[in-house]
Amino acid sequence: MRSVMKVAATVALVGLTVSACGSKPTDSSSTTPAGGSTGNAGATSAAPAATGGGSTQASGKALQACMVLDTGGVDDRSFNQSSWAGLQEANKSNPNIKISYVPSNSSNDYVPNLNAEVKKGCDTVLAVGGLMADAVKKTAAKNPKTHFGQIDAPSSGTNVYGLQYNTAEAAFLAGYLAAGMTKSGKVATFGGLNIPPVTIYMDGFWEGVQYYNKAKGKNVQVLGWNEKNQKGGTFANSFTDQNKGKQISQAFAQQGADIVFPVAGGTGLGAGAAAQSSGGKVSVIWVDTDGCISAKQYCQYILTSATKNLADSVAQYVEKGADGTLPTGNYIGDLKNEGVGLAPYHEFDSKVPADLKKEVDQVKADIISGKIKITSPAQPKE
Amino acid sequence: MSAVELATPSGGDPDQDDLVVVKKVVRRTSTKRRVITGVLMVALGVLCVLGLGLGAHPGVSATFQLGQPDAAIGVPNLVLPARTAIVVLGVLIILLGLWQAVRGFGRRAMRWVGVVAGVAFIFSFLCWAATGQEGGASIDLVGLLSQSIFLATPLILGALAGILCERSAVINIAIEGQMLTGAFAGALAGSMAHNLGVGLIAAMIAGGLMGALLAVFAIRYVVNQIILGVVINVLALGLTGFIYDALMQPNQDSLNNPGFFSPIKIPVLGDIPILGPLLFDANIIVYLMYLLIIVIDVALLRTRWGLRTRAVGEHPKAADTVGINVLRTRYRNVILGGCVAGLGGAFLTIGAVGSFTKDISSGKGFIALAAVIFGGWSPRGALGAALLFGFADALGTLLSFISAPVAIPSSFLAMLPYLATIFAVAGLVGRVKAPAADGEPYTKE
Repeated sequence: MRSVMKVAATVALVGLTVSACGSKPTDSSSTTPAGGSTGNAGATSAAPAATGGGSTQASGKALQACMVLDTGGVDDRSFNQSSWAGLQEANKSNPNIKISYVPSNSSNDYVPNLNAEVKKGCDTVLAVGGLMADAVKKTAAKNPKTHFGQIDAPSSGTNVYGLQYNTAEAAFLAGYLAAGMTKSGKVATFGGLNIPPVTIYMDGFWEGVQYYNKAKGKNVQVLGWNEKNQKGGTFANSFTDQNKGKQISQAFAQQGADIVFPVAGGTGLGAGAAAQSSGGKVSVIWVDTDGCISAKQYCQYILTSATKNLADSVAQYVEKGADGTLPTGNYIGDLKNEGVGLAPYHEFDSKVPADLKKEVDQVKADIISGKIKITSPAQPKE
Repeated sequence: MSAVELATPSGGDPDQDDLVVVKKVVRRTSTKRRVITGVLMVALGVLCVLGLGLGAHPGVSATFQLGQPDAAIGVPNLVLPARTAIVVLGVLIILLGLWQAVRGFGRRAMRWVGVVAGVAFIFSFLCWAATGQEGGASIDLVGLLSQSIFLATPLILGALAGILCERSAVINIAIEGQMLTGAFAGALAGSMAHNLGVGLIAAMIAGGLMGALLAVFAIRYVVNQIILGVVINVLALGLTGFIYDALMQPNQDSLNNPGFFSPIKIPVLGDIPILGPLLFDANIIVYLMYLLIIVIDVALLRTRWGLRTRAVGEHPKAADTVGINVLRTRYRNVILGGCVAGLGGAFLTIGAVGSFTKDISSGKGFIALAAVIFGGWSPRGALGAALLFGFADALGTLLSFISAPVAIPSSFLAMLPYLATIFAVAGLVGRVKAPAADGEPYTKE
């Protein structure tokens, strides 16, 4: 009996740890190659191209592009979904590009998934998410003939193409806009975890507000993050816990913030719910994708979104491959090449003053020209 | 039995003067334990005075908002000179600690003393944190407490589910899975029927079905209950994830957009300052939770059902001998527990945010399970543990953005709720005893 309780306590403790880390318990169904490559106009149902190893191909020949997703799943309304949308886009414009994906249920799946895709004979394997960087580095070194596309981390080998995004630039615009829109003089941001892909947005947001303050002689406060104190900040410690996101947003609202910028995946949806509960007193700036499309039930509370244009850059990568050579090296998406940007204002279009819109455009131009320097330590380096 | 166990460390020899020793032990805890708690409290007080008192910026006052701007009866803000308040509270803790070390409080009184010391420490901590800002920060105390209840609600419901099962000796590791299924069914059915009430009932049924699954395998097929619970959690995660991908994700508007219950303010009670907005301006799931806490707490100790449940949980063979149907009692309780966990799940979707996403329960079922154990398998204890966890969690959020005099790392704040719960429970509750037959399947010989 006593030993049974010990086991129970241990399991409970493991549960505590698991929830503390904000990761989910591992799923049983692990590596099922190409488990969900359905609904793509039948293109994927064609026999897989048995051209394993070949890295360069003339246009018109088949290119097999495979994707290993991170744990959020293909419908996370975030980076997995947009990356997959890129492949779908490429497949639509060039049916010779065969596409498929495998989900990862935990970080333990990365290496087996990558290896399975290599064995399947994929021409290029796209790894979604910076957490896979180590696994890609090892797999790429062992399989020099296969190409790899690494999203959100730099290239780690001669056969790896690193796709990175300087989202601090987009978040800078969002911060400037928020500072111009707030009525209470307080804006807020929170993250899912204190990791660079998250804090880069928070840095940019913070810098944007500071720039506004300096330019206008105002004193808009940012709750939840200060670029100068990288160890502090407000974090939900989860990318799935909507309730925590709602509670954090309400805590911000109680301290007077009226615009919240959640950088926390699914947890961020809770900010939308908080905005709804507040009856529109609080508005939200969405992140990664256009919130009015990916979280459209909250569109009326979404001021704008700081977006990361994964889909287009992924599509361009594989399309280049189908046209001739798969590129290697690094790609950095920024405001200039439209790899990052600010989404339309949608329902707020009439509420954002024309002057402020102009200013935001000017700030954008200044960032592109290098007049405004962004100092976030999380920015991607070549 | 506990008297003898506790008597030994006190140094008395139970063989020689049984009566005196027993009397002493009933009134107080052992000398060693008494002195240790006393010293710890003094240390806490000293930390409070020296650490927080001297750390606080002098001359700054801390403001605590007690009322809400749109309340019927206004409550003035509590403005405290931070440093003085911290020192006074710290000295209070030291005095309590000294008394405990020298004379000692009775066991019952000690619980309250512990609570007072804890509250005093938290208060002085908040005073300290508020002085980081120029002119002193203003802390919305009612808001902080209502967020604690918001975060604790699913934990409390989950813990009640656990108690229902475990009091009849079936270990329920599957609270997490039952909640997740309830959250899922609530969102799906609520969207399909365009009626949140339907969603609520569906959530309870779905939770109950997961409970039934646990019951059948644990009771009928005598599967190891812990392994079974873990498997059910994984099943729930996979099942809801799969259906979410296949059905809800492509049809967000029609299948995953139920909305959520808006708060219902109870007339008169809702206008009471502080307590009104805290307790009587909530949504229907929270009111159901109040009801369940009271019903289960009373029923466990004072009804025939409760007596039978406890008998089955402590000594199933004896219960069987006097004609109680052990297996039926267990089936009923486990399924009932599943329904309650489903209700807790419903709070996560149609009670708070209005849409389902994968793994929305995010480990809350495990915290609820911990609350069951920390709370000593009693509804009151579990309520306390869950509320404490919720409070520490909400406090962590507040501390993360209210600029304290010393910057607190976010990783420390992330572990605060877990740390606070473990320490408070270890300090105030001490050893807890599980139902004697917990986890043991019953088969007739």
